[in-house]
Amino acid sequence: MHRSIGFYLRIYGKILVQDIKSKMSYRSDFIISTIGMICTNIAGFVSFWILFQNFPSVDGWSYYEMLFLYGFSLVSLTPVQCLFDNNWSLRIYVYSGDFIKYCFRPINLFFYYQSEIFDIKGLGQLAFGIGTIVYAWAKLGLPVTVLMILKMIVFLITASLIMIALQNAAAATCFWIQNSFYVLDLVFRFKDYAKYPITIFSPVFRFIFTFLMPIAFIAYYPSLVILRPDEIPLLSWLSPVIGLVFFFLSYKFWMYGAMKYSGTGS
Amino acid sequence: MSSIQIKNLTKQFKVLNRHEGLKGSIQDLFSRDYKTVTAVDNISMTVEQGEIVGYLGPNGAGKSTTIKMMTGVLEPTSGEIIVGDVVPYRNRTKLAQEIGVVFGQRSQLWWALPLIESFRILKDIYRISDENYNAMMDFYRTQVDIEPLLHKPVRQMSLGQRTLSDILAAFLHDPKIVFLDEPTIGLDVSMKAKIRTLIHALNQEKNTTVILTTHDMGDVDALCRRIVIIDKGKMLYDNDIAHLKGFFGSYRTLKVRMDGDLQAHAEEIRKEVDFSVSADEEWISILVDEEKEKVLDVLGRLQHTHNIRDMQLEEISTEEIIKKIYEEGVE
Repeated sequence: MHRSIGFYLRIYGKILVQDIKSKMSYRSDFIISTIGMICTNIAGFVSFWILFQNFPSVDGWSYYEMLFLYGFSLVSLTPVQCLFDNNWSLRIYVYSGDFIKYCFRPINLFFYYQSEIFDIKGLGQLAFGIGTIVYAWAKLGLPVTVLMILKMIVFLITASLIMIALQNAAAATCFWIQNSFYVLDLVFRFKDYAKYPITIFSPVFRFIFTFLMPIAFIAYYPSLVILRPDEIPLLSWLSPVIGLVFFFLSYKFWMYGAMKYSGTGS
Repeated sequence: MSSIQIKNLTKQFKVLNRHEGLKGSIQDLFSRDYKTVTAVDNISMTVEQGEIVGYLGPNGAGKSTTIKMMTGVLEPTSGEIIVGDVVPYRNRTKLAQEIGVVFGQRSQLWWALPLIESFRILKDIYRISDENYNAMMDFYRTQVDIEPLLHKPVRQMSLGQRTLSDILAAFLHDPKIVFLDEPTIGLDVSMKAKIRTLIHALNQEKNTTVILTTHDMGDVDALCRRIVIIDKGKMLYDNDIAHLKGFFGSYRTLKVRMDGDLQAHAEEIRKEVDFSVSADEEWISILVDEEKEKVLDVLGRLQHTHNIRDMQLEEISTEEIIKKIYEEGVE
């Protein structure tokens, strides 16, 4: 029974509005976690800044170019944080047998599961990331044209799919192994390397970050399209396709695990 | 029209033969030593639209496995199964539109949302028309005091309120079949009664088929005419409760009260009579088969050895019948 995107968007919108309303009602929880998110971002930025007090450039990348990369990674990591946060709880639902409660609705299981949680704190990161990109953009004197902005949006969205795909796949391992937290944690730690140009790593890691755990597509390859228009590698142009393919594969993997899930005894 | 048809349904699981100790665990890592466990063994039954069937069996009997096959979560190893007009595991999404599922201790509602918002989202998910939705809500209002619940987030509800809400949510899209898995577990007496009344009313009004798994014979007595009992994956019984009681027609429960430690007395009586004896805080119950010995003879004998202060005579209860079947099977 296939249902239109409009159908799903309407349901998502409804859940979202209600969820935000109820979160706001736990005010201290909301304020504290928002402050926490701001602090995390500031701390991340400060360590980045300190690094550049000591090195004028990293492997031929200037301070503002690095800042652009940093902002790009923040923005493209926002959707995974806001929309797919329930992946972190998946192993708990699966282990306790509670996951079975998601299996009886006449809508897509993956959608239904992910729609349950919207992590509003991610929006702070989004604002921070956009601010950083705009600042770096201005300092680098990049042209502001419709085409550039369009490119930017397409590449940001497809880049965000990479991290979503990695997280989906890592979370879905819990359908087979018991202690999948370490897999999820490992993948999530690697995202910290996304904000560096891949050329600073050794060839082995360059290979890993490009083809095995493709975090280089979260910021590096798509940024090149904007930052170095004269020497864009093929992989940069391919990054939207790679984002879509990886997302699709991770979705299939997640659903495969979920469909073979049969719960615990009651 | 029959609403569930099951024919020679079997489900087997492959389970690793585990070895003991640390050395055993390491062995297990590389072991291909599987054994096959048959959780459901060649079960057949047909349930008509509108029936309430009590699906009973001791823990680990295969109840959950059967329910999971009926709801499409598990694929049968062999046999046929049709629920509504769908083969469950082949088309889970279509099936979901036709069924409702309630687990006694696992709420399916949105934890943080007030009940009315959960209902509104369900209305969209199941594409319930305004007309049907309003009619259903009006019917709910005639059955339970729903207003205080509607604006309360599910996480602030008591277990009883939550179960009640889950049942209302499961019937909201007017499903043909509802599966209730221990709906009254952990509830107090008055809440149990409320929930039984609600289930009965919904079944009557909507002609919904209800498959009820429970360990509480109060649920069975209040709701089910027909019961199906399985144990170790095999079907032991499938018929009316009245019929079952006929089976055990020669049984009476003799209840006696005496001073002192009832458990100790029960232990002594167990040595004197040939029947099953149990004790609670007030009464010692002896399940007497009158074909073997008359109740009054048993009572006469006991009067010689014990100081009996009070006595009662009862028909065999469903609880005791089920217990006897679990222990001895049906001849």
